[in-house]
Amino acid sequence: MSKKKVLSLLTAVAMAVTTMGCGATSETVNTPASQTPVEADAARGEVPSYTTLNLDDYSDFTASIKFVHHKTDREADGTMAAMIAEFNKEFPNITVTTEAVTDYAEDSLLRLSTGDWGDIMFIPAVDKSDLPTYFMPLDTLDNLSAKLNFVDNWQFNNVCYGIPYMANAQGVLYNKKVFADAGITELPTTPDEFIADLKLVKEKTDAIPLYTNYAAGWTMGAWDAYIGIVTDGDNTFFNQKFVHTANPFEDPGDGTGIYNLYKILYDACAEDLIEDDYTTTDWESCKGMLNRGEIATMVLGSWAYAQMQEAGDTPENVGYMPFPMTVNGKQYVNAGGDYNYGININSSDENKTAALIFVKWMVERSNWCYNEGGYTVVIGGQNPDMYAAFDGCEVLADQPSVAGEETLLNDMNSESELSFNAGGNDKVQRIVEAGVTGSETFDEIMADWTEKWQEAQEELGIEVNY
Amino acid sequence: MKKKRTFKEWIKSRDGQQVLVMFAFMVVPLLLLFVFTYLPFGKMFSFSFYNMKYIGDRKFVGLKNYIKVFQRDDCFDALKLSLYYMLGSIVQLSLALYLATILSFKVKGGNIFKGFMFFPFLINGIAIGFIFKFFYTRGFVFDTVLQWCGFNLEDLPYWLKDQRINNFSLVGTSVWRYFGQNMVLFIGAIMSVDSELYEAAMLDGANRFQQFKYIIVPSIKTIITLNVILSITGSLSAFEPPYVITSGANGTGTYFVVMHEIAHTQQKVGLASAMAIILLLIIFVVTIFQKLFFKYVFKNSEDEDPRAEIRRQRAIKRSIKRQQRLSAAGGK
Repeated sequence: MSKKKVLSLLTAVAMAVTTMGCGATSETVNTPASQTPVEADAARGEVPSYTTLNLDDYSDFTASIKFVHHKTDREADGTMAAMIAEFNKEFPNITVTTEAVTDYAEDSLLRLSTGDWGDIMFIPAVDKSDLPTYFMPLDTLDNLSAKLNFVDNWQFNNVCYGIPYMANAQGVLYNKKVFADAGITELPTTPDEFIADLKLVKEKTDAIPLYTNYAAGWTMGAWDAYIGIVTDGDNTFFNQKFVHTANPFEDPGDGTGIYNLYKILYDACAEDLIEDDYTTTDWESCKGMLNRGEIATMVLGSWAYAQMQEAGDTPENVGYMPFPMTVNGKQYVNAGGDYNYGININSSDENKTAALIFVKWMVERSNWCYNEGGYTVVIGGQNPDMYAAFDGCEVLADQPSVAGEETLLNDMNSESELSFNAGGNDKVQRIVEAGVTGSETFDEIMADWTEKWQEAQEELGIEVNY
Repeated sequence: MKKKRTFKEWIKSRDGQQVLVMFAFMVVPLLLLFVFTYLPFGKMFSFSFYNMKYIGDRKFVGLKNYIKVFQRDDCFDALKLSLYYMLGSIVQLSLALYLATILSFKVKGGNIFKGFMFFPFLINGIAIGFIFKFFYTRGFVFDTVLQWCGFNLEDLPYWLKDQRINNFSLVGTSVWRYFGQNMVLFIGAIMSVDSELYEAAMLDGANRFQQFKYIIVPSIKTIITLNVILSITGSLSAFEPPYVITSGANGTGTYFVVMHEIAHTQQKVGLASAMAIILLLIIFVVTIFQKLFFKYVFKNSEDEDPRAEIRRQRAIKRSIKRQQRLSAAGGK
């Protein structure tokens, strides 16, 4: 055999062996031991905690940090640059570079696993037990919740790892002029009234009664945000009781519950109260359509309000109302943090401190939350006028999951593949398809969800208490 | 007798240098191939035996993921959608072959046509998705063009909403994108056919279709086989049109889109890896079947048409008769 042949054979064998070798490698990533508040202080090293940090002491601090975020629109329109310029007036030696990531929910998770992504990011959907692996503890839950709202979203063992940049209330966007033209004088408070109003809109105006935004996908997943507080008036339902409920999708019979939430969508589709061709809806153009009165209602969080106002010449016509569902004579509103700032645990102490300064400044002094039409994060902060219709409603925030069960909802979402409030858009799109084509009845869909839910409970060995 | 050389001497010799250079050149591509193809594949293969998310704990579950793929309805239902794309690839290849044959002969403005038809292939797949989303939107481009042709908007279907035709709409975008590329490959192959063969065939009285059948197709059978195999494999793993245009909703979720959904939204990475391995095996099987099929098809076409001999005999007889008639007439 010639040397050439031997050589090529050897190379081939070597490649085959390495390929098999990596195929057989087994990997187990150990969960880090959960941290207590005291240990969290140690984990932060020289960096002060959020509440002990006094912004005015750090005006000479020098560092260079990177902020990874999902607000591509704010990056493009210069809002982000303007805020950083404002920040540099107070902290001239802290350089902040920003990167806006499209498709943030997925990309940020992939980047996170590399460890080297920058210093501040909006925390993506990680398991709570993994928080200490990736993010710096900011402060204890007790300290923070005395000053800020909605900080328990990313807490683990009473330590907070994230602070929301703004908070959203979950209601319904509507066009005031269309409602007036249709002769609707009082905002609907129950699903039946809502459907009746949509019919009025269809009858008396040219507007699309309910725009589903089906094609964008995530706009359909937005319906999940109403589960719990809005549907039951119970702020422990979504994070605590939901996973332990045997039959969360059954009809309680009084126009409440998850069943009646999605029933609104199904009925609107079945009664032809939605856009004509839902498969080609376009998110960017829907904003102007609502503003101009070509769309009557859209079911989206309050964060969308500012964008709808900016999208046309009649911002005064854009209105926001509580979700039309009444539980025991009262309307409930679900408010909660949007994306949370998280600081990289692997950054140097200087960068961590600078990042914390930036986060604190953004939360308390940048006014970003107010400008975006967000519900205030700082306790006692000013709320935008759009929340006027929420007077008389009870505004609640979802309670965090019980200690030791932080990952259960994620596990259930993943196992059942329904992914509530976690990107499960296809299950809501299915309701639209079924409503329009009549391929499935609403009860069949709910029965299917129940089956998946119960199978997942069984698979994960979750106790059924409710 | 040849003196035995030490390794040092050998590496300095011409032979040794040759091997060294060969090895040095080979290392780079092989390393890239290994790092970006085999290593990730090996990783994915090992993932398929775990119950895992991207981050967090992993649990070894053996073959459970593979069993689940076969138990789920959505995985193999999605594979049925590939039939639409296979049908599309047949249309695509016939169209490409037809146009390639025409354009490889002298045609006015041939290069412009080639350019126009190849152009879609140069556009990014995501951009094509957005183009066609608006193209198919009710009352937009496609409907407008059809209205110019005299159709009523009320009679036209909803191209993406109607579940009976939305897959055809999506396949249409894929045909539009790829047929130009197939065509250019075919033209390249047809160009390499010796033009004297056409002349000879013409002298023998072969028409264009016969030239196509007996000269062009056998000469470019390798490239046809290749294109068919690539298109069918592509149909099994169709992803971009349904993902960008309809995000896999409304009954357009192909196997790849379902896999993507399971891996990224539901975070069942192990299950999705198992799906990928199974798809790989399916593609292997389909490719082998195609290979066998073409071996069979082209074996027949290589043998001469059985009736050709008879026809030739008849032609000879006819010409003899003509000769005889002519000579008879001349002898008068």
